[in-house]
Amino acid sequence: MPRIEPIHTKYHLDVLTVEQLGAIKSATSHVMEQVGVQFPSERALRVFAEHGAQVDWNTQVVKLSPGLVLEALSHAPRSYVLSGRAGGTNLVLDGNASYFGTDGCGTRTVDFDTGLERRSCKDDVARMARVADHLSSVAFYWPMVSAQDYGRLAPLHELDASFNNTVKHVQTETVMGEGPARYAVRMAEVIAGDKERMRARPPLSVLICTIAPLGQDPEGIEAGMVYAEAGIPVGFMAMPNMGATAPASPGGALVVGSAEVVSALVLMQLVAPGAPVFFSLLGSVMDPRTAEYIVSIPQKYLCNVAAVQLAHAWGVPVLAGAYGMDAAEPASWQVGRDHVYTALMVPMAGAEIVTGGGMLKASTLLVPEQIIYDDEIYHTHRILLQGLDTTPDGLALDVIEAVGPRGHYLAQEHTRQHLRRIWLPELTHPRPRWDGQSLPDIRRRARDEFDRILAEHEPEPLEDAVKAELRAILDAAARELGA
Amino acid sequence: MSEDILAELAQAVIDGEPEDAAELAQQALDQGLDPLVCINEGLTPGIDRVGELFATGEYFLPDLIIGGDAMKAALEVLEPALTGSQEREVLGRVVLGTVEGDLHEIGKTLVGTMLTANGFQVRDIGVDKSAADFVAAVKEMGATLVGASALLTTTMLHQQEVVEALKEAGLREQVKVMIGGAPVTQNWADQVGADGYSEDAISAVALAKQLISAD
Repeated sequence: MPRIEPIHTKYHLDVLTVEQLGAIKSATSHVMEQVGVQFPSERALRVFAEHGAQVDWNTQVVKLSPGLVLEALSHAPRSYVLSGRAGGTNLVLDGNASYFGTDGCGTRTVDFDTGLERRSCKDDVARMARVADHLSSVAFYWPMVSAQDYGRLAPLHELDASFNNTVKHVQTETVMGEGPARYAVRMAEVIAGDKERMRARPPLSVLICTIAPLGQDPEGIEAGMVYAEAGIPVGFMAMPNMGATAPASPGGALVVGSAEVVSALVLMQLVAPGAPVFFSLLGSVMDPRTAEYIVSIPQKYLCNVAAVQLAHAWGVPVLAGAYGMDAAEPASWQVGRDHVYTALMVPMAGAEIVTGGGMLKASTLLVPEQIIYDDEIYHTHRILLQGLDTTPDGLALDVIEAVGPRGHYLAQEHTRQHLRRIWLPELTHPRPRWDGQSLPDIRRRARDEFDRILAEHEPEPLEDAVKAELRAILDAAARELGA
Repeated sequence: MSEDILAELAQAVIDGEPEDAAELAQQALDQGLDPLVCINEGLTPGIDRVGELFATGEYFLPDLIIGGDAMKAALEVLEPALTGSQEREVLGRVVLGTVEGDLHEIGKTLVGTMLTANGFQVRDIGVDKSAADFVAAVKEMGATLVGASALLTTTMLHQQEVVEALKEAGLREQVKVMIGGAPVTQNWADQVGADGYSEDAISAVALAKQLISAD
């Protein structure tokens, strides 16, 4: 099986017209210029001031003119490559393919052996990386949960567990702060070979969350500048929660979220013109009765697709959102509904990279077999979006003539060849058992497949020298940053 | 040389190449090979391998059917060449058909292919066959097993007629009757006096073996 099977869609979905897109962009520019975004970082404020932005040093709010924004973003590449550390693992972010990754940042794990929920740990990150390494639906790996057994160094240990267990591209969503970011850059250099190779084929990229409304996280911003300078692709993700941290209308949420993301991308370009960056925006709705966060809701699906269009309108690739919905129970009606909407719509809109499968309870809970369900949904969509074959071979006129009325197609060579090309949803339609035993239920089958991959799949290991260097970097980080 | 052609015969069955299989069978005869050896050491290992590949999931149903077609094509060349006393070793002789008024073909064809792949000699009498057609075929072939397929609730009644007709012809002691088809159940098999029912072509083989050995 190929390591990665991206989605190439034959159909295109837009939820915003050109006029609507223009209206959101124009409102976003207005917010960046008139309302501003808070950047609580002295270095960031200095960079903005040097480039003529209006900086309020007391409130740390930066106001950006449309001219400054457009000039800065004109340096951002529209397409670039994210690399894995083995052949066949490159992600070409040029709008012609959608690559899905895993979900990440969880804090709880359904234990692999006991089935009981517990705090997540580094070994969870390692095990899931091995399974992700095997699944062709996964093109890049987000460390799925926090390595909570490593204290303050957890984020760097998550990278260590990831690089050691998958050849696929790794994207961190946790290594923040200038100090830790420098160690992450060194780890990426070791994986790539050296600084220049890392720049040309980055094995690591970074996603940084903004703080809604209209704010940035100091640690995130400072890390982002380090990454951008090193040539590691950096994305910013806004997560406007309609009714709480954003207006209770999807349009307003898109404006607020875009202002957060675009202002951060401008900073990256001011610090390192031409740095590869990406845009990300995931909406949600505040439950008006409990203030909880609802992610399984149509407004969110709309925002996710609109975000793809907005990223492209600003001239950069997008990290779109799919999966990771509210439900707690895999193999349930709710998970099926929510994961299908999100995971189908964003590749149709042309999303370059998409996060991510394998988690439940709004991306907080790692349920081992969930990634097997999400893999099957992914491949269903991959086939669905390929469209239909109406070539002579696809129309099979000669075969229809040969079989004629009545009769059957089972004994036709055409049937034999084409049935082999048809992807089979093995989770819902497993191989029959010939030993007379009944098949286990679908959740057990998903778990059996997960266990089989974990037991049998051996990712290509890192060279011993590379492993040792990663360990040395972690030791140095422990000495400097404290364990 | 003879071993080569036997291996090629087996391979033609495994690859599902009916024309090649027939041609190779003719070549083998032309070279003076014993047709029984060709069957037992060429075709049988080939169809056994097809069955194995199917059981492990590597082969799909069309591979199985086309493999069966290749075996059939070679047998059509080899069987007429068997001398008087020679007989192909088979697990059992089976008459298979879809009952009167019913034109469904695929299920019964799959059962036939599976039985052939598992060492039974199968005569597929086709679809829309009366109870009398089944009886005539059993007599002619000396069958020990009958498979009657029905896909409609209206035609499944004719499965009972097949059982009754075999009884009237005095053949019921000699043959076991198995029935199948979407509306058919074990209860129905019991009710019409059949010896067994199977849900699909795979379990039909296990059932056929069980019915034969119970003899």
